[in-house]
Amino acid sequence: MSNGPILIVDDDAFVRTLLREMLADQGHPLREAENGQQALSLDGPAPRVVLLDLLMPQMSGMEALALIRDRWPTTPVLVISSMDSDRLVEEALQAGAAGYITKPFHPVEIASAVERALAA
Amino acid sequence: MPEYWIGDAEGRVLGPVSLDVVQDLVNSGRLTEITQVSRDGRNWGAPPSFPEVMALLLNAPSPEALLQSERLEAGRVREQLQAMQGRPPHEIFRLDRNASVDAYRNAFFKLVKRFYPDRVRSQAHPDLRKAYADAFQFLSRLMVHIERELAEGGVVSPLPVVRAVPPHPVDDEPLTPIRTSPPQPARPLTVVPRSLTPPPRPGPPSTPAHEGHYSYKPYEFVGFERQGDRVEVTIRVTARNSRMFTEHPLANLKTDGFFLACAKALPLGTLVDVIFRFEDEHREVRSRGRVILENTGGDPSRPTGFGVRFITLVDQDRRFMQQYVDRAAAR
Repeated sequence: MSNGPILIVDDDAFVRTLLREMLADQGHPLREAENGQQALSLDGPAPRVVLLDLLMPQMSGMEALALIRDRWPTTPVLVISSMDSDRLVEEALQAGAAGYITKPFHPVEIASAVERALAA
Repeated sequence: MPEYWIGDAEGRVLGPVSLDVVQDLVNSGRLTEITQVSRDGRNWGAPPSFPEVMALLLNAPSPEALLQSERLEAGRVREQLQAMQGRPPHEIFRLDRNASVDAYRNAFFKLVKRFYPDRVRSQAHPDLRKAYADAFQFLSRLMVHIERELAEGGVVSPLPVVRAVPPHPVDDEPLTPIRTSPPQPARPLTVVPRSLTPPPRPGPPSTPAHEGHYSYKPYEFVGFERQGDRVEVTIRVTARNSRMFTEHPLANLKTDGFFLACAKALPLGTLVDVIFRFEDEHREVRSRGRVILENTGGDPSRPTGFGVRFITLVDQDRRFMQQYVDRAAAR
């Protein structure tokens, strides 16, 4: 397992801050990106987990998901979205997401999803 | 499978997704402002250029049909709630009888999410909003009950039936803004202002809420401001009123919430953005929450006011608040 960061990709600064604060206690390094392009342009070690929004400007979350999976094939990607259609969840999982968390989320839920992804 | 990219009025993009997903989101009212569509993610056009997408938009349920289906959904939720009441908690959460508190918490978050009032569109049928709020409140109370019983080392029993607070008409009275410091920058979670020098608070005295337990006068420290579908609640926290975090058995800091005893009770399910101003500590904590309890006076044995469960409260702030109330209690 790499010692890379947990990467938070969301265009909403409030959500990024929340996730950052929620994960701060877990002791993992964290990085943030406002959109998929910015996420993919980050250098350094591969992220250990990516938390990815679906509805974002410039590049959609689904597109970012595919490119992230190409670039970091072993990194689990957890989709976090307010869009909770069952079929969308299915399509995101088929596209390679390791999990799908609907907003609003709870700190414990986020922490346990990340821990599960790290342990997988 | 045909794939679509959908753009909204804020320039955000969803896609590629199937037309089925677009249909789901349109029909559920979650996708209402489609401004552009693409089949390849590069070439975009207005929705009328895509007849199949236009058909979805044109065939989207009428407001009346949507309300009707929401009314039916409300009936289903009420039936589900009725089926849950009185059942052993481990059965409700589909857990082993001796499940740990962590297992209960995980199961609770999964189940309660379905009833988050956020999932209901703002113009939804009032029955549906109420049904979701009731289910949300039941599960939240159940989780508090489970945590207590497990902490005491006991076996988790069904939640005792609690007398419901009588319904009351929706209160459309204008809310009172409170601005004791300059507007804060956009959405910092924790702000440490350099100075907080609130002006004296004029205003009529409110009904003292449940004197003996809550000795403060709410108008001294709390302000409300309606912000679209939510209410911004600004609370000046002092040692005197810090009982809001500890006093109520169901809405307190240990259960991820607080109870604001005041003359105004916000309806169940109301989304609130809370700003706690700990002025003697020069610290401000922001959180978002949901009204899970209300008492407009129907239950005289309880203080008038409302209880909020935090949707978002970062651990760092939670620790700070806990330390604050501990210090206040020790004084």
